[in-house]
Amino acid sequence: MRLSARRLTLALILLARMFAMAAAAVPDAQLKMPNFDSLAAKASNSVSITLDSALLGIAAGFLDSSKPEDAAAKELISGLKGVYVRSFSFDKDFVYPSTEVDMIRKQLTAPAWQRLVGVRSHKEQANVDIYMSIDQGNANGLVIIASEPHEFTIVNIVGSIDLQKLHRLEGKFGIPKLHLEEK
Amino acid sequence: MSNNLDDQLRGALRSVDPDDGFSERVTSRIARHSRRSQWSAPSGFRWLSAAVVAAVVLGVLMAHDWQLRREQQGLDARKQLIEALRVTGEKLDLAYRVVNDDAHSAASENSGA
Repeated sequence: MRLSARRLTLALILLARMFAMAAAAVPDAQLKMPNFDSLAAKASNSVSITLDSALLGIAAGFLDSSKPEDAAAKELISGLKGVYVRSFSFDKDFVYPSTEVDMIRKQLTAPAWQRLVGVRSHKEQANVDIYMSIDQGNANGLVIIASEPHEFTIVNIVGSIDLQKLHRLEGKFGIPKLHLEEK
Repeated sequence: MSNNLDDQLRGALRSVDPDDGFSERVTSRIARHSRRSQWSAPSGFRWLSAAVVAAVVLGVLMAHDWQLRREQQGLDARKQLIEALRVTGEKLDLAYRVVNDDAHSAASENSGA
């Protein structure tokens, strides 16, 4: 009896190690988001969205496939595992603390992440960086870091996102016209 | 003396027809008795029935509450998803505008030079 209990314990330890190794083998496109408390305290408007795969599944259940915009949104999120958004708006110009942003940027390193776009505009006073996580040739994550004089936003999408599908949602749900090239 | 006693006994034990309403009284007593015995069923059984009914009612209420909460959670998730898509679209559009502005200004600088 004692022997079988030891065997069971050993089997459980082995199983736990196997799971840990499997988890470590898959690159995770989900960022560890800082709490952004200092920004939230000074913001006039804060948006914090955390949708894991379970919540995305529930949200998909509440999208009506007979409506074109709902059907497009459903198709877009079908390959997603998580959507995380932190956005802060300010009444006046605000110098963002770099600690939190640096903490994000440190996670966006090659080879797992590649920066697709990095733009600094003097005219719009906006900085936008777009990173994509690529695993075995497949995009499995997207990060957008956008800072404007009155707004700071981080978007982290985990899973395969098709920007063309997002394009089909332009003009719907308040999504602006996207000027992406159609393939 | 003995004849007298015999007559008294015979008189006392003679068959007598029941008076009017006897059968009704008997029937009603039987009915009353059977009703009483029905109500006095084993108390454990009564408690079990009550517990089953209460459990069913509680189950229905809990299922209804769960359904309401799930519906609310679904609507909230849908709202958040749409907001997330809106923010993502807005920032992609901003990136496009900034890239485009840079390209335009570079082109105008080149043509000016």
